[in-house]
Amino acid sequence: ESGDPQRTALLLRKAWTLYSVTPLYRFCRGRLRDYARLLSAFIAAERQKGLAVEVGVELDIRVTLSSLPELQGSEQDQPAVLVQLSSRSRASPKNSEDKILWSGCFCCVYGDDLSENMPEDFTCLPLFLANGAEGYMSVVGNWFQKTFDCIFRRLAISPFNLSWMVAMWAGCKVDKAASAVELVFSVPRLPQPLDISYAIHPEDARALWDTIQKTPGEITQEEVDVFMDCLYSHFHRHFKIRLSATKLVKVSTAIASAHCDGIVKMLHSQYLSGVLMLLTELAISQIQ
Amino acid sequence: MDETVAEYIRRTVLKIPRDEIKMMLQKWGFLSEAQLQTLNFHQLKDNISQEVVQLCEENSADIKQAAVLDIIYNHIYQNKRMWSVYQMRKTGEELEYFDLTDFKKKFKRRLRSALKNVTITFKEYEDNAIWIRVAWGTPYRQPNQYKPSYVVYHSQTPYVFISASVLKSNLPLLCQALIVASNYHDIREMELRSHSLNSLKDIVFKRYSQNFQTYCPKPLQGKAVEPENVDLRIVNENRSEKERIHRLNQETFGDGPQPILQFAQYKLETMFKSSPEMDVLDKKEPFRCLVKFSSPHLLESLKSLAPAGMADAPLSPLLTCIPQKARNYFRIREKRGLLPESFLSP
Repeated sequence: ESGDPQRTALLLRKAWTLYSVTPLYRFCRGRLRDYARLLSAFIAAERQKGLAVEVGVELDIRVTLSSLPELQGSEQDQPAVLVQLSSRSRASPKNSEDKILWSGCFCCVYGDDLSENMPEDFTCLPLFLANGAEGYMSVVGNWFQKTFDCIFRRLAISPFNLSWMVAMWAGCKVDKAASAVELVFSVPRLPQPLDISYAIHPEDARALWDTIQKTPGEITQEEVDVFMDCLYSHFHRHFKIRLSATKLVKVSTAIASAHCDGIVKMLHSQYLSGVLMLLTELAISQIQ
Repeated sequence: MDETVAEYIRRTVLKIPRDEIKMMLQKWGFLSEAQLQTLNFHQLKDNISQEVVQLCEENSADIKQAAVLDIIYNHIYQNKRMWSVYQMRKTGEELEYFDLTDFKKKFKRRLRSALKNVTITFKEYEDNAIWIRVAWGTPYRQPNQYKPSYVVYHSQTPYVFISASVLKSNLPLLCQALIVASNYHDIREMELRSHSLNSLKDIVFKRYSQNFQTYCPKPLQGKAVEPENVDLRIVNENRSEKERIHRLNQETFGDGPQPILQFAQYKLETMFKSSPEMDVLDKKEPFRCLVKFSSPHLLESLKSLAPAGMADAPLSPLLTCIPQKARNYFRIREKRGLLPESFLSP
């Protein structure tokens, strides 16, 4: 799903906080402009109430909602919806560029599990990505929840899912010099907390995965387990520490990085869709 | 008084926590007790620092005095900086008499012959530590007082602790000046870094409590591993295992407090080996990894892993050798030859 690279490029190399969103009731794609106006008025009202999101210079906040048809997987998927809050300081000249304060993106990539059997009034966009100040997320989230009777919930990523991600991404072919495959473990409940970063040369990680994966294009739980066990035992051989007893909190590869608090960064346009598909799946299991 | 000096003093005072300003100014000794009495320490720090600058103006402070105040601040807050350890070597074994005046003269001369614009300041402390502050300039620019390098040298030892500024290009010159001034012929950087200067000293001066295999100060049995349980229905099933782990930990880490390090880094270039039934990677080339351990107090943290059930006891010598080997950066290669399970740490 390449589409217009310019538009999907805005998803790359940013840290996105993940949410799951229950289906939106009576969301009408033709009314995006109206929604933008309503949201804008809502934000202005909240700021006047003193629930100001950003203190500082007088800002005119502009809200734009747009469709991103490039971001969808199957025919049944709803095209993604992008929400952007931008500002132009009243002090600066008229023709200066708007500065983007906050971005949010509703999307659904291969979300058939959720969208099949969904009544007509409901729009399925279970995955939400947010980038920018928490204050704006709060206001925008409130408006969507009120208007479309949906619920936003932070999406955490378990060590189990992080292992899947690192195994999957480590096996991807990347053209230029790739960054290391890094796993970060945390051992918080010791008298002195300990963090362990375990970074593997990307070629060596890929070589290991290639000998484990039996069918290209398919990954099984067993294969992921073997991959992780190999990494754990190599580590144990050297340090006598059992990584499986610690908490996997972050994984990082040339494709993407993911943190257990539900924060991801997508780094490679070719695999953008694949990452979103995985995240959509996580969002759906949180909703169901 | 030069306005750059005034500004530097103002900013230095601003860094100091309010209730420590008086003490530091007293240690500095540049302002008289009478002058210090006139200062109101119960106002905004901004105002305090302005008043200090006024007084310094009265005494015509120059950059040399201002630099001493900076050393005093950094000596007290030494743990804010990252320190590296360097070891000097000399050819002969003779213990030469250390002449402080001679050292300072040679050091200054060596630096100034290479770089015209430098500010060099010395301060000696009771524990035989000589603190040196160097602010670096260029042939065309005055020294940057805000990014100085600090050197701590104990003259009775071949070790120098350096907290370099961001300007790494000045390091070779600094090292040269040190060996010339101290009559050594060579200096090398050790693979040892920490925020805790005292811990680095503990490690290289061997001041932490080492464990000796043959000496056992306490009887091994009967040492309580945890507080007595009042409820007799609760029995510790693994008591003997817990005691074994505790004993092994004592043997490897010793009894006393551990030196404080914040991280240890291992570049692994060993082969990947798996159990034969796993039909996986069997390359003839190393499995390249970089492992980094971080903690506010790394050695204490590692020591607690086995008792917490997360590691085997005894812990790997790669980790326990850190204080003895006086390093926290390692490169591990496969040992060529006979034993498949052994490692070489260079």
